[in-house]
Amino acid sequence: MRYLVLLVCAIIRVTVASGQTYLIRGANIHTMAGPDIQNGSVLIRDGRIAGVGHNLAAPKDAKLIDARGLQVYPGMIDAGTEIGLVEVNAVRETEDTDELGRYNPQLVALTAVNPSSEHIPVTRVNGITTVATMPEGQLISGQVSLIHLDGWTTRDMGIKARAALHIRMPFIQTEGRRVFVPDNESGGGAEPGAGFANAKRDFDKQMSDLNDFFESARRYKLARDTKAPDFKPDLRLEAMVPVIEGAEPVLVTAIREREIRDAIAFADKQRVKIILCEAPEAWKVAKEIKAHDIPVILGPVLALPLDEDDPYDRAFTTAADLDKAGIRFAFATLTGSASLSSRNLPYQAAQAVAFGLPHDDALKALTRNAAEIWGIGNQAGTIEEGKFADIIVTDGDPLETRTRIHDLFINGKLVDLNNRQKDLYDKYINRP
Amino acid sequence: MKLRFRPTLILAAIITASTAADMAAQGPGAYVLRDARVVIVSGPVIEHGTVVVRDGLIEAVGSSVAIPADAWVIDCKGLTVYPGLIDALSTWGLSGAAAAPPAQGRGRGAAGPPTGPPSRGPEDRPSNTSYLKAADEISPTAPAIEMARNAGFTTAVVFPNQNIFSGQGSVIDLAGERAGQMVVADSVGQCVILKTNGFRSFPGSLMGTIAYIRQIYLDAEHYTVAKSVYEKHPQGLQRPQYDRTLEGVIMSPRVLLPAERQVEVLRMLALARELKLNAVLYGGHEAWKAVNELKASNTPVLVSLRWPQRMADNDPALQDPLRVLEFRDKAPSSPGILARAGVKFAFYSDNAGAPRELLRNAKKAIDAGLPPDDAIRAMTLSPAEIFGVADRLGSIDKGKIANLVVADGDLFQDRVKIKYVFVDGAKFEPLPEAPPPGRAGRGAIPSAAEEQN
Amino acid sequence: MRFGLLGLCCASLAVAADLPVLIQNATILTVTNGVIRGSILLENGKIAAIGEKVLAPAGAMVIDGSGKYVMPGIIDCHSHIMIEAINEGSVSVSSMVGIGDVLNPEDIAIYRALAGGVTTANILHGSANSIGGKTLVMKMRWGRSAEEMKFQGAMPGIKFALGENPKRAGNITGFGFAAPGQAARYPATRMGVEDVIREAFNDAKVYRASWDEYKARTARGEIAIPPARDLKLEPLVEVLEGKRLVHAHCYRQDEILMLLRVADDYGFKIRTLQHALEAYKVAKEIAAHGAGVSTFSDWWAYKMEAQDAIPYNAAILVRKGVLTSLNSDDPELMRHLDKEAAKTMKYGGLSETEALSLVTINPARQLMIDNRVGSLEVGKDADVLLYDGHPLSNFSKVLKVWIDGHEYFDRDADIQQRTRLEIEKKALIGKAAAERSLSRPAGSGQTVRVQGGPAL
Repeated sequence: MRYLVLLVCAIIRVTVASGQTYLIRGANIHTMAGPDIQNGSVLIRDGRIAGVGHNLAAPKDAKLIDARGLQVYPGMIDAGTEIGLVEVNAVRETEDTDELGRYNPQLVALTAVNPSSEHIPVTRVNGITTVATMPEGQLISGQVSLIHLDGWTTRDMGIKARAALHIRMPFIQTEGRRVFVPDNESGGGAEPGAGFANAKRDFDKQMSDLNDFFESARRYKLARDTKAPDFKPDLRLEAMVPVIEGAEPVLVTAIREREIRDAIAFADKQRVKIILCEAPEAWKVAKEIKAHDIPVILGPVLALPLDEDDPYDRAFTTAADLDKAGIRFAFATLTGSASLSSRNLPYQAAQAVAFGLPHDDALKALTRNAAEIWGIGNQAGTIEEGKFADIIVTDGDPLETRTRIHDLFINGKLVDLNNRQKDLYDKYINRP
Repeated sequence: MKLRFRPTLILAAIITASTAADMAAQGPGAYVLRDARVVIVSGPVIEHGTVVVRDGLIEAVGSSVAIPADAWVIDCKGLTVYPGLIDALSTWGLSGAAAAPPAQGRGRGAAGPPTGPPSRGPEDRPSNTSYLKAADEISPTAPAIEMARNAGFTTAVVFPNQNIFSGQGSVIDLAGERAGQMVVADSVGQCVILKTNGFRSFPGSLMGTIAYIRQIYLDAEHYTVAKSVYEKHPQGLQRPQYDRTLEGVIMSPRVLLPAERQVEVLRMLALARELKLNAVLYGGHEAWKAVNELKASNTPVLVSLRWPQRMADNDPALQDPLRVLEFRDKAPSSPGILARAGVKFAFYSDNAGAPRELLRNAKKAIDAGLPPDDAIRAMTLSPAEIFGVADRLGSIDKGKIANLVVADGDLFQDRVKIKYVFVDGAKFEPLPEAPPPGRAGRGAIPSAAEEQN
Repeated sequence: MRFGLLGLCCASLAVAADLPVLIQNATILTVTNGVIRGSILLENGKIAAIGEKVLAPAGAMVIDGSGKYVMPGIIDCHSHIMIEAINEGSVSVSSMVGIGDVLNPEDIAIYRALAGGVTTANILHGSANSIGGKTLVMKMRWGRSAEEMKFQGAMPGIKFALGENPKRAGNITGFGFAAPGQAARYPATRMGVEDVIREAFNDAKVYRASWDEYKARTARGEIAIPPARDLKLEPLVEVLEGKRLVHAHCYRQDEILMLLRVADDYGFKIRTLQHALEAYKVAKEIAAHGAGVSTFSDWWAYKMEAQDAIPYNAAILVRKGVLTSLNSDDPELMRHLDKEAAKTMKYGGLSETEALSLVTINPARQLMIDNRVGSLEVGKDADVLLYDGHPLSNFSKVLKVWIDGHEYFDRDADIQQRTRLEIEKKALIGKAAAERSLSRPAGSGQTVRVQGGPAL
């Protein structure tokens, strides 16, 4: 019953017919493509931005949006999430991120995105119009998809189904390495970092298997391209072909410095394009990352330092460090836990600003950089003619919590700013 | 966790030195150690002294002592006589020798998979064998005994160590044909280990374990009162239920509580104060940070001779936090600071290695500021005092048990040789130390031998 | 000064007399008395003066607060930092345990919380049991002993927990705390959770009566054996007598009302409903009972019972007269409770002062320490934060933190000492490595070592 109700709500919410033309007028437009345009206009038609500038004439069919005194920004992009793939973290039945097995390049996130997920309306009302949503797993977990946070179906939402192949970089996993909490509930753990020799052996095996897998993909492609007589189609290897051809990047999740270095070496060896993901210790490898021109999708800013002796603001300053090093980066909430809701993406970026990242660079990372890193720079990330009309109209800086979103366009549609949480608010604030 | 001695030298030593006991059995009734440097510990060193041993006791000691006609005189010129060394918290001699109690509460004492039904509270008396006595579990033929003796140890305060309330420790002399002969004092304290069971069985966490300890002592107090009221007025009153786990706690004159880091020292001192326990702390590597509290509460500390260090097989990319680095760095300074502050302390073996390693480890404390006299005291008279047996052990004084160690120089010198060891007046001659095990190679040990140990 | 006090013996309780501190020309957010542009004086551990002009006493440290903001120290009503165990999960009623036994003053989370402006926190037992362990209010006096960090005079508390967590242990298909072949732990339903609490208070009343009877008998001169003290029931008797505050973890409205009914039936009060993500649905009933609510700003969706969680929870509760605070329950979130408070302006339209109250005076009231902390008022503890901008702006950060007038955090000092700590660390690592290579006998790979527990 409950789900039925949810579904109905979702349907009602999307009330605006596509194809409507809008003219936003009188706003301060932060195009992210050049200087801000004071008292400017944006014309939206057929889902795209049809014009940006001063004194745009209003077409007859255009609905006028009076934005005098308001700000207009490109919609923000959360460069790494699980939106649509997970509804309730603790309920396995609602979770579609982790497939069995270690080599799953053939899996595509978009397949399992639930357009009725309540996370979608909850997230977009804070100005996030686009996200990368990704499978998670032990090694090759599948294809990351770029989606708009609005649409009747996954087909409406999908921007790029196969935006990158997600790999969790193998790492030398000594017991308790990642999370060392010698708690008494579990009866305590082994020494952090102990058992290195064994862990290293496991790691070496994983790396050699991973390299073999890429090698198999190359042979597969060769056999396919040369129409070898014994060639048989293989869905897993087929999915690898764009990667080894360099047409599709690999999103490599790497946490520690060593993992990041291994990832770079792996990319060199396999001659594939990579994007680093999460990478809280990217600051330690900034020179190499820059030298290889590898973009970084930086994990949560509001995160604890990895090591006890790290400065308390370690994670707050990483974005600024990457920025200074000239590394292209975007922000990702990597919504694995409750506190990292994708809707807080702009506030995570703001924390980086509080700790040294230039404000404009933060905005750029949230919009233009994210689009470029994800290979949709020609379609999204700025307010320029021809791009997706993913636009927010606000009464202030979207990085400030108290700023209100007045209007939200996704793919040229004026999206309802309501959601189930707002419904519950309206209902219970009026409970007698 | 069972303890297994791995290195080769241990087995070799056991086999080749086994004749010493036979000699002791045939030995004379009296020995004279003549012209030795006598470190009596209870007073100033006697540079050219004589010690007379008869019938297991020290008959005389001094610089001008008459030599009995019947005695076997040993010329000790150039040699030094010390009281026999005492391991203040040990498992030597326990049959099925188990690892020494862990000093760190954090998971070190974690219980294995639970057996039997889960405990649902203190009333189920989980992990409580307070009634066990080490004296009842001693095996005179345990290989550890001879190894320890060869290293100069004549006495060990041996504790059961499998439970939260593990049982009562006993002072054991490290020679004898029957266990009964070896026991100097049968019940000198209760050893507490901070074990936890996780979510399956109470106590599941450190705070559960501490709450359990608290409840047990309250129950013991109530038990005593209830029994005494009932004894006086049995008619018309409900009979208090007999409880051996409380009996064991009540008959233990002191309790050993684990406390390695400063926070644990303060935590255990608070618990001891609250429950009015006669407490002895063990672990002690960061006790130096709490000397004032230790001094004020007059609480002795058993300092582990296993100095904390980074494990060899640690991930080199993982740096230890400064807090841990400092903890390790300062640990050997702890005894010196305790000594200066007048806190009573003794050393204990804590699986630090072969018994001979223990002296080398104690030397690290000396290097870190512990006066050598205090180091000797921490392995002789201090443990005897802490466990209430200083009237019979721990120093070279007339009438005390003749436990002695005779070395060719200062005990803490690198190349010191132990010439004789006397236990209850019986003389043993240890063999020279075997070469380090690495040279022989581990492959030489048959795996069955490991099992035997 | 992260390690400034470490290494000092904790024996000396008294803080070396701190110089008076005068912050001038600042924007002072008092929380209870509006915004003042002027000065605040911290002296002898207390707030000595607030006003447009305050004269600097002799020897005072004067800080120019131009462009800066001052607010009271943040109070987190729900935290699990600085303890070495969180759950005694083996039993459904674990009131015999207390976090006071496992405090760890060396937990770096203390310093990190401090750097985020938290000066006081309610340190709670976990939520694995219907009735959990005893709790304490602590001040983040980093570098001091556990005992010295205790908020003297604050009422002790006890943790209750309703819903999914306490019933999970009884659910074989849940996390499966019961080993194969073992009986699952009762309860496995919300009905059972209620029963466990009722049974426990039933026992507590019987226990109290047994003592009353014993006292009566001995008063009459009869011979009697005293009841055995029961550490599980004693805290519950304290709850019945109003000497211990109940902090109850809960989510759904049904279980919230259940607990209020149980409390009413047994004649005690629920002091705070913790999390209480559906509290907005029963704000009226909560207000009638007099319970406070300490909730998250915007957590949701992480478990089934958090599905109806809305970020408007705090705002609705405030509007409906419930004493409300925002908490962290998390060492990371704990570092930006100020920013969490700002979300209630977005979701539900609270004012700046209302928003700040959620992390200062309101939690202070909930913990009944508002006579000491929670606002900037003359005579209160000098638990004070200095910001480089408005605390409710995402672009602002904490510069300095005082507790009892003693400076426990200073961002500049923190930055300056980083290199020194790095050098110190390298030296110690080098020293340890050198010693290890020395102590290893030539030709052997390892020193003789008996298998045992790992060394620290």
